[in-house]
Amino acid sequence: STKRPLIPRKAALSLTPAAVTRIKSLLKDEPDVIALRVGVRTRGCNGLTYTLDYVKEKGKFDEVVEQDGVTVLIDKKAQLSLLGTEMDFHETKLATEFIFNNPNIKGTCGCGESFNL
Amino acid sequence: MIRSKARLTDVSNDSSDSVLLSESCIKRLKKISKNPDDYLRLTVDGGGCSGFQYNFRFENQIKPDDHIIEKEGVKVVVDETSIAFIRGSTIDYHEELIRSTFRVVSNPNAEQGCSCGASFALK
Repeated sequence: STKRPLIPRKAALSLTPAAVTRIKSLLKDEPDVIALRVGVRTRGCNGLTYTLDYVKEKGKFDEVVEQDGVTVLIDKKAQLSLLGTEMDFHETKLATEFIFNNPNIKGTCGCGESFNL
Repeated sequence: MIRSKARLTDVSNDSSDSVLLSESCIKRLKKISKNPDDYLRLTVDGGGCSGFQYNFRFENQIKPDDHIIEKEGVKVVVDETSIAFIRGSTIDYHEELIRSTFRVVSNPNAEQGCSCGASFALK
């Protein structure tokens, strides 16, 4: 028998049912948009913050995450820092927000909008 | 800190109209305030990365020293201590794809705080 090398591979990003529902409803009103793209950029008191944008065309280096009928792209620069992250969505009277539960982060700022790795 | 506090009390204590509500703030409050006794309460507390931070919550109690900002039937309530820190600013509901939240903008008493706007330092 030939041994098959098995490499563990974490899902780059997973979506909670609440996030899937929210993304579906956002994309319903945007006929040209094919997906949302998650990225990170330098901002805030703790180094990095997440970005989220509508995408009309997949970028060459985007990682594609497809789950439950929705597509989320991960920007190349964000792929390492997001690995294994769960994307959730919360809606309260005070705020409507996507929340990223990222196992890689070491700390966040008080308001939770920026983080470091 | 003490010096700042003393200066703030010099600001005239005339009306709660000196805090403005943006169009999007009013629209959001109309949408979510099913119960007319639910007020958005804004409090300024010590904390955050810049020294002071804004806190929003919903409440149905008004205390005697509260300032009430009322416009088009929606109410925002600010206590006596907090109003001194936010007089002249605007309460906004900022909508983005990633996050929509209430926030305080154009606060003439505050230095540019942390970039997310939740925390600020006094001028």
